[in-house]
Amino acid sequence: MFGRKKRLWGEKPPFRSDYDAVIIGGGLHGLATAYFLATRHGMNSIAVIEKRYIGYGGAGRNTAIVRANQRTQENLPLYKEALELWPVLTKELDFNLMFYNCGNLNLAHSEAAMKAMRLQVSSARFQGIDIRLVDRKECKELIPALDISDRPRYPVYGGMFHPAGGIVRHDAVVWGLAKGAAKHGVHIHQGTEVRAICTEKGKIVSVDTDKGKINTPRVLNAAGAYSAAISGHMLGIKLPISVLTIQAMVTQPLKPLLDHVVSSGMYHCYANQTLKGEIATGAHMDPWPNYTNQNSAYYIKHQAEALGDFLPCLRGVKFMRCWAGLADMTPDMAPIMDGNDPVEGYYTDCGWGYFGFKSSTVTGKYMAEFMAKGECPEILKPFTLRRFENHRLMGETAALVNYSPDN
Amino acid sequence: MSVSITCPVCGKRKGYEFRFGGEDKGAKPEESVLADPAAWCDYVHMNECRAGVQKEWWCHKDGCGTWFCIKRDTVKNIEVK
Repeated sequence: MFGRKKRLWGEKPPFRSDYDAVIIGGGLHGLATAYFLATRHGMNSIAVIEKRYIGYGGAGRNTAIVRANQRTQENLPLYKEALELWPVLTKELDFNLMFYNCGNLNLAHSEAAMKAMRLQVSSARFQGIDIRLVDRKECKELIPALDISDRPRYPVYGGMFHPAGGIVRHDAVVWGLAKGAAKHGVHIHQGTEVRAICTEKGKIVSVDTDKGKINTPRVLNAAGAYSAAISGHMLGIKLPISVLTIQAMVTQPLKPLLDHVVSSGMYHCYANQTLKGEIATGAHMDPWPNYTNQNSAYYIKHQAEALGDFLPCLRGVKFMRCWAGLADMTPDMAPIMDGNDPVEGYYTDCGWGYFGFKSSTVTGKYMAEFMAKGECPEILKPFTLRRFENHRLMGETAALVNYSPDN
Repeated sequence: MSVSITCPVCGKRKGYEFRFGGEDKGAKPEESVLADPAAWCDYVHMNECRAGVQKEWWCHKDGCGTWFCIKRDTVKNIEVK
């Protein structure tokens, strides 16, 4: 990809007109599913179709944080397994994913927030996840740079510490999975755009791309932010998704000062120090749907103010780079994983919002099982698209999401 | 990314004064239609997620409070006529 160096995932594969499975989207979910289909289910005639290049979208734009501190009993086991998979995959792929389980500290700024965390901690502990409530003093012990005085706009009241979480080098996961999948015969077609998904008598028969037609009985829509548009416009299946831009930025490199990922829902800010010393920080989403990948001065200012308030030592530190990615948000902030309904052979893995990175590998594992056997694994069943019409929304968010600056 | 929105009362203002109110899905269907869970779900939850010009609802929350529709290009994130 860069000059004369050889690509990790082999030479450009030939474009065949028949594949056992076509995966739309060369992001982490698509690549992981392809990898597990090839390694665990013996399918090696698989095409991954990527419009731009692998890792262009959310895979390379997230802030690399991994954690398993969600709210619901349906979500927690999935994220727990995802956390346990990083060391396994590092070994299996023979690729350093740079998993650094430094732990996540979520700050609470009120008794009400502590109460919400109490529920979250109990739910997670019930699933065997390593997580505990911490008081103000322990927050300071974990992150000495934290200002726990009464001075900040939202003084620290306590928090929730999740030692098992941490950060993973997101690009390494893309490269590792692409290398592993390609080694097992998966064809990764970059710069290839899907134009249509063709069905016959309620079954998937082929996919039209700008490079030609591919006959296939199985299609996985793992196109991230574009999955709702693909599903709606190509198959007429509308999804309850809003595509919002989410912004992130890094500061200039500093000496080590943050040993853990720290986040605050009140400040709408999370931060971690990368291995290079930069403070990587993210904000909440733009409050209106759009498909741009641009930042706004409004958010950069917000980020600087928030960080400088609870980590005062960062005041005056310069932001070096900023970027943005797209998050496909569902009303209950839980993903949609479904298949064979209403079109046989059509599988969906989307609605991952801003938590698609931490779950990518485990989702790939189960979606691969789903696609190979045609039967939905038990763990994925609650994530069906039908839950919205059956009023079975998940409680990943305490209140109904209304895409305003409040979330 | 920032956006400017034209309020029918107050004129062109910064996007952060407004609240996005969802895609325009036309008039609310009759109650008898909405009694069907699939139709209800379609009206309440489902979006087109159009990459291009879409008609959508906005409310001037930090201004006059008016609800109105505009057309906006979601790829360029700008209001269009």
